[in-house]
Amino acid sequence: MRSARLNWPALRDLEGWRRYAAAFGTVVVSTLVSELLYRSLDTTRLSMVFLAGVVVAAVWLGSGPAYFAALTAYGIYNFYLVDPRFTIQFVTAEDFIVLTVFLIVAMLTGGLAGRVRDAARRAQSRAQATNALLAASREFTSLVSEQAVQERLAAHLATVARGEAMISTGGAAVLHPPGITPPAQTPAGDAAPSEEAWVAAGWRTRLLRADGEVLGVAAWRPATTESAPSDDQTQLVHVLVDLGATALVRARLSEAQTEIETLARTERLRNALLSSISHDLRTPLASILASATSLKDFGERFDSAVRADLLDTIQEEAERMNRFIANLLNMTKLESGALRVEPAPFDVAEVADQALAWLSSRLAGRKVTRRLPARPAVALGDSILLEQALSNVLENALRYTPETTGLSVEIEAEHEVVITIADQGHGVPPQDLERIFEKFYRGGAAESLQQGAGLGLSITRGLVEAMGGSAQARLPQTGGLEVEIRLPAATEALT
Amino acid sequence: MIRLLLVDDEPQLVRALRPALNAEGYEVSAAETGLDAIAQMAAEPSDVILLDLGLPDMDGKEVIRRLREWTEVPILVLSARDLEGEKIAALDLGADDFINKPFGIGELLARVRAALRGRERRFAASAVFRCDDLEINFATRRVTLDGMEIRLTPREYDLIRTLARHAGRVVTHKQLIAAVWGPASDVEAQFVRVLVGQVRQKLEADSAAPQLLLTEPGIGYRLRAED
Repeated sequence: MRSARLNWPALRDLEGWRRYAAAFGTVVVSTLVSELLYRSLDTTRLSMVFLAGVVVAAVWLGSGPAYFAALTAYGIYNFYLVDPRFTIQFVTAEDFIVLTVFLIVAMLTGGLAGRVRDAARRAQSRAQATNALLAASREFTSLVSEQAVQERLAAHLATVARGEAMISTGGAAVLHPPGITPPAQTPAGDAAPSEEAWVAAGWRTRLLRADGEVLGVAAWRPATTESAPSDDQTQLVHVLVDLGATALVRARLSEAQTEIETLARTERLRNALLSSISHDLRTPLASILASATSLKDFGERFDSAVRADLLDTIQEEAERMNRFIANLLNMTKLESGALRVEPAPFDVAEVADQALAWLSSRLAGRKVTRRLPARPAVALGDSILLEQALSNVLENALRYTPETTGLSVEIEAEHEVVITIADQGHGVPPQDLERIFEKFYRGGAAESLQQGAGLGLSITRGLVEAMGGSAQARLPQTGGLEVEIRLPAATEALT
Repeated sequence: MIRLLLVDDEPQLVRALRPALNAEGYEVSAAETGLDAIAQMAAEPSDVILLDLGLPDMDGKEVIRRLREWTEVPILVLSARDLEGEKIAALDLGADDFINKPFGIGELLARVRAALRGRERRFAASAVFRCDDLEINFATRRVTLDGMEIRLTPREYDLIRTLARHAGRVVTHKQLIAAVWGPASDVEAQFVRVLVGQVRQKLEADSAAPQLLLTEPGIGYRLRAED
């Protein structure tokens, strides 16, 4: 960024009367050289030396000083070298012709060289202006906030105007360099002229205007008021201010768009949550109601095995609803920070078995491997919360893996209790490994119609962390997804 | 035996519905995904489909659209969502009726019967519709209530005729507008409500608590199935 700042040539070239002084100096140098040559070579035909001085002045200082140098050189040459010396008179016609021709040639050469030099200077200055605008424009494009655009515009404007700048768009004015005294009054609103206007104490202003809308005011003041700004410079300032105005509009639109997108995302999340809750509550309810009404309407026509199966469905689905409601409650507690854990030692294997038992009917047909440590793994925490946390992981595995694939639950106990639940499904994309613990993440199915709130694993992590543990996911070499839950181990043995 | 295809990704619901459906004489096959359902229909067509709209692999509406490309099998939509738009879209795509989850088994069986009967009616030549005291003779365009002739305007008659042809099944506002005012008309649902109100005045004992011409809020109307 810094290197992109407008880099105007410091007073490398002289300004105003100094150029004429320098032109005079050139002629003086010519005179000294002539004097030297006169003494050593004893010749008075040294008009070329003066001519050289004039050309040097022209190339260096431009056409005005060149004419001045030509006239001065003519005077000095006449006065100093042409016989009779130290008079401005001349005797011979030859001298008159030489002097006249010298004057004409000096004027012509100086003028031409000076004009070439002026043109080069203008071209250079335009190139610098173009570069400056390009750099500013590039920088503006990368900025997204209105405040940032204001700050950078003020900085660029201060550099281009070689002084101080202020950008005001209704809110607090942005000053550059910071801490300067802003102009006492600035024109405001539509009443202000769009053209550049003078206000107090050397400040100039221009309205920030884009698409016909007035956004605010830009003001600047050159540090020195010795010379009036050139047309090119004024033009550059104006283009820069207009460029900044456009960038401001763009930043405003971009900010508004971000805000709208955030709102839309929140709205989408809320709708997803509502529809998921409604689905997750109604799905078990549908099975319960269908089973209960079937028993009521057809009870005597069903044999006892069918009746028992329907009653099992009712029980299991009611328990499933209860788990879902507990999840919702826990989520609310986690969100509001109201979850209080009363740590107590408990046997992790018992809790894991209980979680597996809840899901027994849905685990039918799957191979479930349990690996337990030799001694009971005793963790410190809340067994009910852990059961909920493990149920969520298991339900997730059931939901997202093919029906016939196996599951394994492994418990290890050292200074921590580590519970690893591994499935043999398709896993998740590696970049999503952390996201599966985010709320509403639904394993690549967010866009499809896989139902469920996408809350399970986020609640698991919340519950485990509330107990001082951690939950991580891994993609093992053998495929599937592994969820590892770590809990603090109880130091004292279970009584 | 009537073959019934149950498309739902909830094995528990399939488990709960199967005994009663079997007892009612349906041969039940189940599909968990939309693709599975389409494949089963292609291999061994069922006589009626119960379709959940939220399937793991594809939108249930897409299943309806694909099935309707080649089969007129009655489709009854099971929807756990209370999104009227979803149901209307499903009906407009060619579903015959819907039932909201959760539902009692009696209600489901009645809807399945109505869907199957409606399908028969479309091709059968029964000229008379009877439900309670209401009798509609499609051949003579006579409507009688308890033997007394009811005078209906042509639009009122078109409305009751359309509902009677779909008796027991829901008919959407859009379908009623197309049947009564013509498919190209841009009549609003409000007009249908007014017309239904007029018909209720003439047919219902208490038009504020209709027994025959029932409202499906946000979706359309349903005439009670024939006795």
